[in-house]
Amino acid sequence: MKKCFAMVLVLSLSMSLVFAQGQQETGSKRTFKIWHYESANGAMGAAWDEAMKQFQAKHPDVELVYENKGFEQIRQTAQMILNSDEAPDVMEYNKGNATAGLLSSQGLLTDLSAEAAKRGWDKKLSPSLQTTCRYNEKGVMGSGNWYGVTNYGEYVMVYYNDDLFRQYGIAIPKTFGDLETAMAAFKAKGITPLAMAGAEYPSQHLFYELALSKADRKMVNAYQLYEGDFDFRNPAFTYAAKKMAEWMEKGYIDKDCISLKAEDMGLQFTNGKAPIMVSGSWWYGRFMTEITSFNWSIGLFPGNIMSPGSSGNIWVVPAKSKNKDLAYDFIDITLQSDIQTLLGNKGGIPVAADTSKITDAKIKDLIGLFDTLNAQDGLAFYPDWPAAGFYDTLVSNLQDLMLGNKTATQCLDSLNSAYQEGK
Amino acid sequence: MHVQTHGKRILGKTLALVFLILLMVVMVFPFIVIVLNSFKTAQDFAQNGPLGLPETWSMTAIKNFWVRVKYGQKLWNSFSISLVVAVVAVILSLLNAFALGIGKIKGSVTFLILFVIANTLPQEVLVYPLYYMAKLFGIYDRQISVIIIFTAIQSAFGTYLLSSSYHAFPRELLEAATVDGCTKGELLTDVVAPVSKPTLSVLFVFFFLWTWNEFFIPLVMLVSNARQTVPIAISVTQGQHNMDMTAAAASALLGVLPCIIFFAIFQRTLTKGITAGAIK
Amino acid sequence: MSDRSKGYGKFLIPGFILFVLVLGVPFLMSLCISFTKWTGVGKPTFVGFANYRKLFRDPVFWASFSNNLQLIFAITVVPTIAGLLLSVFLFDYVSETLGNGITNLFKTAYYLPQVLPVAIAGIVWGWILNPTQGALNSLLKAIGLGALAHNWLGDPATALRSVMAIMIWFQIGYPLVIFLSGLQRSDPQVIEAAEVDGAGWFQKFRIYVYMIRPELLVVILTSLIYSLKLFSQIYVLTRGGPGTATMVPSYFAYQNFFEKTKVGYGSAVAMVMTAIIIILEVIFITRQEKLSGEGEY
Repeated sequence: MKKCFAMVLVLSLSMSLVFAQGQQETGSKRTFKIWHYESANGAMGAAWDEAMKQFQAKHPDVELVYENKGFEQIRQTAQMILNSDEAPDVMEYNKGNATAGLLSSQGLLTDLSAEAAKRGWDKKLSPSLQTTCRYNEKGVMGSGNWYGVTNYGEYVMVYYNDDLFRQYGIAIPKTFGDLETAMAAFKAKGITPLAMAGAEYPSQHLFYELALSKADRKMVNAYQLYEGDFDFRNPAFTYAAKKMAEWMEKGYIDKDCISLKAEDMGLQFTNGKAPIMVSGSWWYGRFMTEITSFNWSIGLFPGNIMSPGSSGNIWVVPAKSKNKDLAYDFIDITLQSDIQTLLGNKGGIPVAADTSKITDAKIKDLIGLFDTLNAQDGLAFYPDWPAAGFYDTLVSNLQDLMLGNKTATQCLDSLNSAYQEGK
Repeated sequence: MHVQTHGKRILGKTLALVFLILLMVVMVFPFIVIVLNSFKTAQDFAQNGPLGLPETWSMTAIKNFWVRVKYGQKLWNSFSISLVVAVVAVILSLLNAFALGIGKIKGSVTFLILFVIANTLPQEVLVYPLYYMAKLFGIYDRQISVIIIFTAIQSAFGTYLLSSSYHAFPRELLEAATVDGCTKGELLTDVVAPVSKPTLSVLFVFFFLWTWNEFFIPLVMLVSNARQTVPIAISVTQGQHNMDMTAAAASALLGVLPCIIFFAIFQRTLTKGITAGAIK
Repeated sequence: MSDRSKGYGKFLIPGFILFVLVLGVPFLMSLCISFTKWTGVGKPTFVGFANYRKLFRDPVFWASFSNNLQLIFAITVVPTIAGLLLSVFLFDYVSETLGNGITNLFKTAYYLPQVLPVAIAGIVWGWILNPTQGALNSLLKAIGLGALAHNWLGDPATALRSVMAIMIWFQIGYPLVIFLSGLQRSDPQVIEAAEVDGAGWFQKFRIYVYMIRPELLVVILTSLIYSLKLFSQIYVLTRGGPGTATMVPSYFAYQNFFEKTKVGYGSAVAMVMTAIIIILEVIFITRQEKLSGEGEY
């Protein structure tokens, strides 16, 4: 009986609190809602934190409400949230046809073209970076209105464990031939050279890198922007599929890695087991703090002009935002030189920074490589972008390829039909 | 002969204990892994992987996670939602099962089938319609939406379990009470409810734990951080490209401890049965 | 019969209203959506039975189906039997000889997997089953059975079996707790009488099982439904891979709903699964009701 009573008490307390939350806070202040999903101690998180401080200083009469979101929630429910009154005033969102493109074509994002012209954003961002900021009425990137604004860049490169290379007297590769020689040399010493994970994005990034070594901007535009015909069974991707299968056979990639996740691949590199890792700049900041036991360096994929890469995530202004003018102000602040420099100094890749103010040598390497890639128009976006749900299709087909369940031709056939259907 | 059976007993006891302990280790092993990794530093994890003992035992991962997601708030949200759902769903299950399992009203088989169907609907199916309905009623991004939804889902299961167990309900009790002039309401509160306490307790525990661990529907319905629950907070450790592993382990540990405590406390009520003799 | 049942109807009202609102309406809405092509926002386009026709020709759907049948074994059959044996063992033998406290300890431990968030369980099992550094393979090597070491989740030959094993680990606690609660309400005099009559271990077991028949039926049906709806573990462990080795229908539906934003097609998949489950249920429940009509119930 007593237990019953206690429960009823707690119950009514809970219910009252639950209902109390339903009350909206009324005040005369404007509330400005910002969302993003970068970690607080990462480069973007730190830079945007500073941007928010500057914004608050500029608009002391506005109540700034910032929520750090989980990526999973945004990924799965962005459509629903933006279609409601709970949409924020400005938020970080993924770039690409399947994400920002889709939402813009459904009318959920505000057209930023006028602001972009007025505030000179179109001058600050290189045309290559602008590709992921602009979407046409079908939701395809590259042309049309501005729907997003990016603050940073990202790209895929090769990480090298310098100490392991030195230990075995192997030179850091400068050409593709060097890379294969180096891998063969490691293999001969009983070390699997390449860290890899087949259950998530790493395999498709490698696949794309290999294809890009034989491709040109025209092919990429056909693939990503649907400018012209594209078939997976072209020479570039055929080469990539065959090469990956070859590397599996030669043992450069461990068969066991096919079911591993990206985090496992990172582990292979950080605990010194695999000397080479082909993956993105998003590992860089982490490695800088987490790798303490060996020296490491990076390089563009040997022999490639293009690499997977693009602008970073973009700021979008939901169509249902109630404070669009404040949103534009905020975005503008994030593109200012001081914020961008801060972003760089914290380990990110800025798009409009004063590079002379970047202090850390290792960060300079990172940014330098990106600038090189960008200057040679080398950002080729990501292989899963062009078709909805293509990420899973790529993962599963490449798994089959690496396992030997599908030949290169079968794999490409399957990818091609999924692409044609899904674009 | 006396000695023999005594020896056999001891052997039996030891074997039983050994078997149960082995099984327990298998069941509990993943938890041990989580505990170990919650106390590692990120560098330690990067260097040595998930299965080693921590080099130094550090509270950083746990502390950081707690602060980052305002865990105390999430704990309270999960607790209040799960508690309300558990209580209301148990009550509803009791009412429903009373009508269907004891009263055996016309069409109870159909009703029962309908209720069980409720449990079969995959959540993706429910989500879009519920989202639109929640917006319509103005309860989108309100915890009440989650409470209503899970009360419905859990009570569907509860109705089924409870009314099934009422098939074995001692009819003599009901007849005796009705002869004594009991109303239906009194029948419910004074006869049926007390006798079904073991099952009701099981339902309460299940509903609380199941609601606590629900992820997808709260993810969709609860937009503001302040209103979110523990599983959503845990998912925050899964970033776009990276997953903060020690944070994930810390979040798992913090997320699971309340459940373990809850279960440990309440499962004592699961074992307190009312023997049939006591009823008589 | 109808006379005795009068007056009970009103107890059903609140529960039923809730059911209709929260579950009935969305179900009907989903049924309608399955006849359309829709991305989740904006207006759906009516396409008739096109989604269903496509579904029956889709090899991935059929592969997912066959995987599901195997998972039913792992989720329904094995844990239920194991749960029966364990619960009777704990109830009859352990609580007598080792005391209630120890019994409760074991019960809590065995239920623990059900309490762990699936996402985390998935990560941890990934660590344990990691082919190179995982605990399982390390253990096998340490005790000299290194030859048995496999790439558990990555090899299509072993992927589904590994997932099945994990599901057994996950699921055992559920029948255990339910059966124990059923045993709690059983009449101890029946067992005492049997013991006096010289009943052996197996006889007693059969009596116990008979006494908790309602719970047994509930566990079987709900586990069956759960296995047909299985989603989160697949999502977290293998995403349906490698290839389609561990694809299941509800993950396939999810892919269409959210990743491909083919909400109409996803709804069709979900409807087909629901229809199958409903058929199973109708068979099950009507049998269950019939059984309760006869006998000493």
